[in-house]
Amino acid sequence: MLEAEGLMVFYENMLALNNVAIRCAENQVVGVFGANSAGKSTLMYTLSGIMEDIRRKAQMAGGERITVMGRITYRGQDITNFKPSRRARLGIVLCPERRRIFKESSVLENLRIGAYLASAAQARETIEYVFDIFPALKKLKKRIGGFLSGGEQQMLAIGRALMAQPKILLLDEPLLGLSPLMQAELVRATRQIRDEMHISIIVTEQYARPVMPIVDYAFILENGAAVMDGRREELMDNPDVRSAYFGVQE
Amino acid sequence: MNQNTPQRRRERIDRGIKVRCQGIYSLMSWREMTYITAPRAALIAGLLALPLVMPGMYWQRVISIVCIYALLAVGFDFLAHFVGLVSLGGAFFVGVGGYLAAILNTAWALPPIATIPAATVIGATLCTLLLLPCLPLRGVYFAIVTLMYPLFLARVIEALDILGGTDGIMGIDGFGGRWTEQYAVIGMLLIVLFAVRRLVNTDIGLVLRGVKDNDQAIRASGMNVTRYKALAVFITAAMGCMSGAFLVHIYMWSGISQFALDFSILPIAATVIGGGGTLAGPVIGCLILVPVSELLRDFGTLRIVFYALILVAFIVFRSEGIMVYAQRKYHQFERWTQV
Repeated sequence: MLEAEGLMVFYENMLALNNVAIRCAENQVVGVFGANSAGKSTLMYTLSGIMEDIRRKAQMAGGERITVMGRITYRGQDITNFKPSRRARLGIVLCPERRRIFKESSVLENLRIGAYLASAAQARETIEYVFDIFPALKKLKKRIGGFLSGGEQQMLAIGRALMAQPKILLLDEPLLGLSPLMQAELVRATRQIRDEMHISIIVTEQYARPVMPIVDYAFILENGAAVMDGRREELMDNPDVRSAYFGVQE
Repeated sequence: MNQNTPQRRRERIDRGIKVRCQGIYSLMSWREMTYITAPRAALIAGLLALPLVMPGMYWQRVISIVCIYALLAVGFDFLAHFVGLVSLGGAFFVGVGGYLAAILNTAWALPPIATIPAATVIGATLCTLLLLPCLPLRGVYFAIVTLMYPLFLARVIEALDILGGTDGIMGIDGFGGRWTEQYAVIGMLLIVLFAVRRLVNTDIGLVLRGVKDNDQAIRASGMNVTRYKALAVFITAAMGCMSGAFLVHIYMWSGISQFALDFSILPIAATVIGGGGTLAGPVIGCLILVPVSELLRDFGTLRIVFYALILVAFIVFRSEGIMVYAQRKYHQFERWTQV
């Protein structure tokens, strides 16, 4: 469905992504695991096209030069040079790291902003669906986004991304800084989204264990390079991966 | 990428000499010493030579005005890029400093050499006190308050007919010679420029930059953010008041046009053109903008149109600013590399 090959991203002369190839099939949950500075967020920004925006802003401000190379195809269409808004219209929607919800708008308003690409009927339907998978949000409908807890904000961010009617959802560290209970809740919701809405999902995480149960295929990034990939079982059997990303001591 | 089509990208590399100049050993080679000092020397020599190469009295006066604006622009750049306060208060500082110098000069007959420092210190204190209420806040409050004060003061002077009312205060002493006037202003500008450059690299400068980045973290470190902001505002206000004091002694007149918005807006435009956060950039921006606006006087009302076009073109095509661009070209070179 979404396929990238030979992705290289330079921040000035620093290589952030080195020849990364990644693919996500229809209705699949793909995990991308790696430590800090492995290139997870860079990968997500590149796939969603936000990198182009970051590049232009840095250029205008006279900052570092960002070079992006490689090819991204989506359902057989080359989208390498598409703007982020066009990619979102095709159904590639990013739920950014640290949530980035609109802090001064209420929960409902946040969801409505996300529904820019949806028709009125779709929006109504999706709002119902979001409240269905995240019952906690329904009670907080009128609450201002900035006053929500971290977990509620993350739910809202995912909900907002869903409002754009994605075909493939890019979740960048959705479990960042959340309690194990909240993590489990979000992982459950993610699985539900995949199963019920048939949305493909690419999820990045530093620590693989909480999301591994729902991941079909995973890539492991180290220093900007995809050093390993495989189906869940294959990776779980690898002792190095087990100790580094699952915290299992042999 | 597919291996058969090699890709190239442009990379930026620091010049060898720049890297060599980072250590103390650069003092041992004339070439490297020159590399370090040449840009600074060029600025100093260029500014000092300006009055000599100007064709006449009129253009020499323009140079003085350039320096006045440059003082304001350096202040704006300092406050905006090192403390995070966007100030629209150029007119406020100039007006307060100007009127103070005028009063001191006419009422107590103090010479310019006494009125300028006095107006600087008293004016900066006054401005800081007046701005104190909005310092604990973040956001646009500071900009709005600094924009309101000059309008407010100008109307007060006009309505109550105090301090000369709409006619202003006349009969103020000049500098007693155009060369004294020129070099006093240029010398002051150079001193202020290098002093502020020093200041932002000291510990206080570090704290101020921290305030810009994340004031809560600074508070959490046990520092009083408002006090540091007040200090920064005092420094900027001092520069602004000083330029105002110079201005009234140059024109030998002080009036409500010193509260004109030009003094607030032009320094900002100069900072944009010169490159924010470089301190020398705003000076270069003023050196371009003020003479350009003088040259455009021939176009009458169309002046503002051309002026605006130049500004917009700059923001569209070189939004990083001249100084940032120049620094990069000076320190780095570019080449194509195979990926």
